[in-house]
Amino acid sequence: MKTMRLFPLELRRLLQSRLTWLIMALTVLSPVLGLVLYKPATSTTMLSVYLANPAMAGGVAGAILFGLLAIFELDRARRSRVDILTDAMVSPLTTALTRLLALLTAAVLTAGLTMLVWLPISAGLIGSVFTGANYVLAYLLLMGLALPLGILAAAAAYQFTRRADLSIVLFIAFCALSLTVWADDWQLCWLNPCVWALSDDFSNFRVFRSVAWMRLTWLAALAGVWTVSYLCIRQYGKGMFGSLARSVRRIYRPAVALALLAFSGTAYAAQPFIDQSNPDLTVMSFYEIPYAEGVTFLGRSAQVFPDTAAGTVTGRASYRFQNTSGQEQSISFGINPGYAISNVQTNGADVPFTVSDYQEYNEALLEVTIPAEEEVELTMEYSGFPQESMPTMQGGKELSSEYLCLENSTLSPRVMNVMPGEAGYPAEIEITLPDSMIAIPFSSSEAEVISENADGTRTWRYEANSAGGILYAGDYICEQIEAGGMTIEFYYGRKHQAVMEEAGAVDAVKAVVDYCTEHYGTLSFGTGETLKLIQSRVAGGGYAVGGASLLDEADFTIANLGDTDKGVVPGEIFIHELVHQWWGLGNMFDTSDSTSPWSSEGLTVYTTYRIVKELYGADYAQQYYVDQWQQVVDDYYLNFYVRHPEYLEMLPEAERLNIAGGLSGVRRYNEMPLKILKAEQLVGGEEAMDQILRGLFNRELDPMYPYLTYQEFLDTCHLTEEDLNLG
Amino acid sequence: MELKIQNVSMTYPSGKQALKGLNLDLKSPSLIGLLGPNGAGKSTLMKLLVAALLPTEGSILVDGAPLNKVEGKLKASLGYLPQDFGLFEELTVTQFLDYMAALKGVRSPQAAIRDVIRAVNLEEKARAKIRTLSGGQRQRVGIAQALLGDPPFLIFDEPTVGLDPEERIHFRNLFSRTAQDRLVLLSTHIIEDVQSVCDQIVVINHGQIRFTGTPEQLIASAAGHVGAFWEKDEKQEQGLHITARVNTSQGVRCRAVADQLPPYAQAEEPTLEDAYLYLISREAVQ
Repeated sequence: MKTMRLFPLELRRLLQSRLTWLIMALTVLSPVLGLVLYKPATSTTMLSVYLANPAMAGGVAGAILFGLLAIFELDRARRSRVDILTDAMVSPLTTALTRLLALLTAAVLTAGLTMLVWLPISAGLIGSVFTGANYVLAYLLLMGLALPLGILAAAAAYQFTRRADLSIVLFIAFCALSLTVWADDWQLCWLNPCVWALSDDFSNFRVFRSVAWMRLTWLAALAGVWTVSYLCIRQYGKGMFGSLARSVRRIYRPAVALALLAFSGTAYAAQPFIDQSNPDLTVMSFYEIPYAEGVTFLGRSAQVFPDTAAGTVTGRASYRFQNTSGQEQSISFGINPGYAISNVQTNGADVPFTVSDYQEYNEALLEVTIPAEEEVELTMEYSGFPQESMPTMQGGKELSSEYLCLENSTLSPRVMNVMPGEAGYPAEIEITLPDSMIAIPFSSSEAEVISENADGTRTWRYEANSAGGILYAGDYICEQIEAGGMTIEFYYGRKHQAVMEEAGAVDAVKAVVDYCTEHYGTLSFGTGETLKLIQSRVAGGGYAVGGASLLDEADFTIANLGDTDKGVVPGEIFIHELVHQWWGLGNMFDTSDSTSPWSSEGLTVYTTYRIVKELYGADYAQQYYVDQWQQVVDDYYLNFYVRHPEYLEMLPEAERLNIAGGLSGVRRYNEMPLKILKAEQLVGGEEAMDQILRGLFNRELDPMYPYLTYQEFLDTCHLTEEDLNLG
Repeated sequence: MELKIQNVSMTYPSGKQALKGLNLDLKSPSLIGLLGPNGAGKSTLMKLLVAALLPTEGSILVDGAPLNKVEGKLKASLGYLPQDFGLFEELTVTQFLDYMAALKGVRSPQAAIRDVIRAVNLEEKARAKIRTLSGGQRQRVGIAQALLGDPPFLIFDEPTVGLDPEERIHFRNLFSRTAQDRLVLLSTHIIEDVQSVCDQIVVINHGQIRFTGTPEQLIASAAGHVGAFWEKDEKQEQGLHITARVNTSQGVRCRAVADQLPPYAQAEEPTLEDAYLYLISREAVQ
């Protein structure tokens, strides 16, 4: 009661301090660091660049600033000897609690103020993909909750040590741990959450949930530590342990501390997001499980029920096997480590099963013994929160009413040691989704709605032929485009509609597919009739299978479509990104040497130039492509660090990498297209170059090293590196 | 209000024993002067009374209840001016007193603040930042915060330090008026302050109580032990505790206290200061 009575007074006193207002003002301004200096989110989506990074920078700076303020405020009463007066009136425990509440309230006010100040700035920078929910959650979780953590940690340090200098050292060391040693451990980096990307076009609930879990775990932990330090507040002239012994006499106090620490420990141990997969990615023991003798796969069906509010999946899967061995056989399945398996039956009878603790490549091993009967139907139920295996790149298992991606054993348990039957691995998948979502199998299969349910959901069904399989679903728009002699089904998120229309996406798809198919050939992953181009939630890159190819949303952001290195107007950049389906995905490039100018960008920029030349004429292409490349390359050769690389080596690493990255970009996006253009002239013109590129595109791949190399390009052109010198 | 200090000893973690088996009864209304040399244990005793320290032995009863059981109640009814205290520099006098009033749980704080500001003559500085105040003005703010809410038990530790003579007289009178219906404990080195206003005196030295009683009783105890003489030879001072030495045109006039006055000393009426020094010097001799 006394605490609550004193709280407004303490808050008023705190807010009368100039230092408090300075700290609040600096914290409000601190998100600007995320725009210019501190950019932990590496993705290029608009929300990563203009929301996640500023919010995280604000969180780091704000937590440190408020931590220092907490130490200063707690020390101020002692330093000015006011505590002699106040302790005579109120218990020092009461004043400590009151001061903490006042500091926390100031932090809440600051976070609110920051959100208000940055709202119009963020909305302006992010553009049409800005949403209030993402904004509020990002600032609340990535920034807001960092401030109380800083206050609790710093206040605890002070209450333990009772020395401002030592507390500052301890607090800064604790912050430094999070920013360095713990930076890649998503549960330990209390200050700087492991957020590498926020999606513009789809939801981010999984990332936000993960950060919220981490924040709450630390909130409980630091509240527990603070409570222990609170018990150590010096009283009655006693030292730390004497005061502790006195304070714990009121049993609820240590009980609260223990409960908070226990809660935190439990939350840490029981986190549902990340599995325990073997970090050694060279180990593939699940692939070494011998095939079950005499067992072949006849079919699989699965009914999948994602709960888009909770982010969980419930499913029932049925497998049919032919067992000609005359013996019981152990069948192995890969299941998502977040799933619980139940009701495992073979031919209607319950059978025991085991799920391994060992996990590998985001799968745990489910083993079921099937009877020595020729026809076996194995059914099981599974449910849970899908876990991921890459803590620093969370979000891949996003599951919401806007988007989901269920891959392989996350869709349904994946058979691992059964030979395919005559029909391969036939599967029939049914999935029930909110009516706003479209189901898109990542294959040539087409999903159809088989029922519209009373609860506003729709059940989709599709057939596939694989032991696993990937399903995308979301609030998509589908454009049907006839191009390159086939139907392109172009799926993109509804939120991205304005950006896609601005970029002339449909025309670009048609132009690129027509041009590239005619000049280089069809994509190997097209079925010949249809090709699905699916815009995925930010994933760090695209990939393709027969009949479907993925476009990472990060390639189609407003900022990327305005990147003049890749084209003049958004439509041309869209063309650039689509050309990557041929150069980058259809033909892969070794990117292990980041300094090499040879990458998928050279051929992609060159091809974009050729398409633009065809669309808008030679003068336009010369002016906006070739002349610009030449200008940039001329400048590059005049660059001080290019002429004196020894000075580049002398720079601090971060600056050196930044400059080197910029120079490398110039070589990939400008120098290499110019060299290819020079090669075009040397080999006899566009037609000859097209023939060479067609040959390279359709060449037989070495499965051990399936990358297109610069040497292969030169050899096919019958040129040497020196021939292409631009000097 | 009644406080009973029963056989209280206090030994600091450093091993220093500040109080030894102290027994004392304090009952309101009374203005009690606490006297003793530096390091005698006065401040330790006051810290025990405000529950800033816990005795290592013995107990303190507040109206018959152990202090540790009624600590909250005691703090709510306490006005305390420590010897060495600080103020929040960034606040104004009124804001600081408002803060302290809230800590004390004073009802109608605005009126109470107005009253204490008037009582300590700080009306002109009521809106001034504390950082702009002089040492004496800060001391007055300290006294004002102790008086806030009319607490029934007041402890002043060297309250008139830093005040000019006029202010000292003002505050002596204030303490006297305040003590009419409450318990006031006044610790000071300025014997004059005690003599002017205290109805009871407690002398403490080496952690033990050496005297409790009225100022008159203390003065009476020194009767026949105070004398004056014209100094002719420095050897005359041997065995005496010189309390005053005045250079006059006729020579040096010394005033001294001693168990046995020498024949060349002329007996004088003892003052409270003589009596106090006599008490302390006797202990030193013993």
